[in-house]
Amino acid sequence: MAIYDYAIVGNSAAAINACDAIRARDAVGSIAIFSEEKYRCYSRPLISYLVAGEITTQGMYYRPSNYYRSAKVDFHKESRVVSINPAKKMLTTAGKEKVKWRKLLLATGFLPFVPPVNGVEETDYLTFVSWDDARRMLALTNKPAAALVVGAGLIGVKAAEALHARGAEVTVVEKMDRVLPLALDARASALVEERCSAKGIGIITGESVSGVESRGGHKGRAFLSDGSEIDFDILVMAVGVRPRTELAEAAGIDCRRGIEVDEYQSTSEMDIYAAGDAAIALDVVLGKPALNALWPVAALQGKYAGLNMAGDEVSYPGCNSMNSVEFFGLPVLSAGIVNPEGSDYEVITREDGDGEYRKVVVKGDTLVGMLMAGKIERAGILTSLIQERANVKRIKSCLLDEGFGLINFPHAIRQDRIVEALAGLKKADAVRGRRG
Amino acid sequence: MIRIVPKEEFCIGCRLCEIHCIVEHSKSKNIVKAYKKENRPIKRVEVEEEGHVSFALQCRHCEEAPCITACLSGAMQRDAESGAVINDPERCVGCWTCILVCPYGAVRRDEAERKVVGKCDLCPDLETPACVANCPNEALVIVED
Repeated sequence: MAIYDYAIVGNSAAAINACDAIRARDAVGSIAIFSEEKYRCYSRPLISYLVAGEITTQGMYYRPSNYYRSAKVDFHKESRVVSINPAKKMLTTAGKEKVKWRKLLLATGFLPFVPPVNGVEETDYLTFVSWDDARRMLALTNKPAAALVVGAGLIGVKAAEALHARGAEVTVVEKMDRVLPLALDARASALVEERCSAKGIGIITGESVSGVESRGGHKGRAFLSDGSEIDFDILVMAVGVRPRTELAEAAGIDCRRGIEVDEYQSTSEMDIYAAGDAAIALDVVLGKPALNALWPVAALQGKYAGLNMAGDEVSYPGCNSMNSVEFFGLPVLSAGIVNPEGSDYEVITREDGDGEYRKVVVKGDTLVGMLMAGKIERAGILTSLIQERANVKRIKSCLLDEGFGLINFPHAIRQDRIVEALAGLKKADAVRGRRG
Repeated sequence: MIRIVPKEEFCIGCRLCEIHCIVEHSKSKNIVKAYKKENRPIKRVEVEEEGHVSFALQCRHCEEAPCITACLSGAMQRDAESGAVINDPERCVGCWTCILVCPYGAVRRDEAERKVVGKCDLCPDLETPACVANCPNEALVIVED
């Protein structure tokens, strides 16, 4: 039976960043990656770009084709792990392969959540989270089609945009009163809705799909809560996602919504770590663990999991709910809390026309949220203030000013920041200017 | 590797660094052509100014670079040879996640040709980066590790 120093279940952002971090610390330890898919590591968020024809299949890959070989990783593709045994430190795959590990990472990601709507299981619906999903969508849109997307979260709206690019006639149904109700605020949602409507995408908000009648294959008819009916050739279910915790739960690992981890990304079982969309880890803005099923968050958790698996002792700094998306040419970036509830928050907004809308949310002297639509330059400065829980008392009034930047920070803090990234260089002696 | 350090006590806010950065990243590397005839590149260095204080800031090429970790496509990578943080425009899809996470606001949209981001690349073809070489008051200097 093979014994690996490191076994990784999953092959996406968290898994690959963990693998990179392990290799940076441990050049020789054996690593195995198990994936149920047939693909080399690819970027899941890019499936909408692929369907829309903005990138080729080559552009989907997150790492070069020789990645596994050069990182000396045993890549077990199409090899779904069906159980893990923490006591024996052994995992079993669907192909009955048994493998032992010294350290294990669960980077199992999420699965689309499809609500139990009457008749939906009889219909050959699509989800929109994997490369295979994208392939199915591409095949189904080779001829004109009417597409119905259920759910206007990030996945639903990006699916709608991709379907539109393929020439489909698209309708989106969202139960809440606006599109992207979690990621955006009402104003930004309205801006996105305007763009969608201008492109001919039908947006129906405040209604849900109460039933579906299959007409064979992918086709069918949906019944909405207001009594109306929509015929479709393609049905995309994009209501939400659920972390995949089943392996962890069956092994007795503590899970509460997601796989619970400590600051070292370590689970309740010794030598078993978790990272990515399946794990519930610190959200610095909320001050408690939260599910943030986002690529950059998964990548960062994976990195910290990998460092700790390889013997470092470094705490995951935490993250926040960050989104960067673009719909029909309108870029929208957000971080932290964009829909504050209660009177503890101060909200400052600025609108410059032509879809340019910006907003910051401040609690006391702490910046806790930001949103930028249309004009997004230098958004990361605000994100970093949110992430660091920085005191913004003295700069609160100018956060949305034209030309806001590090110039608005107190001199000492600015100097620290600019030199901070140059770790260890403060005392560097070789300094040369214009004249060499 | 080399790093560029701004000296705000010497910066006069002339923005020559921005201009020379644009020219260096243009097709012709000729100022007239770059500004008038070609798709003008974005500036990869920005002069921040408030009252009498100013300084020029570009990518810090951070040791722990948030843009590399956050990049959706894998386009943002550290160059093994130079240590610089480099965006591969062929792999960049223009998702703007790096803009969302850069604490220095040093990554910009560059939509002159394709929808990608642009940032300081430390002028790989030059011995001294254009912004440093053309700063008239040594307000940008090079530090080497």
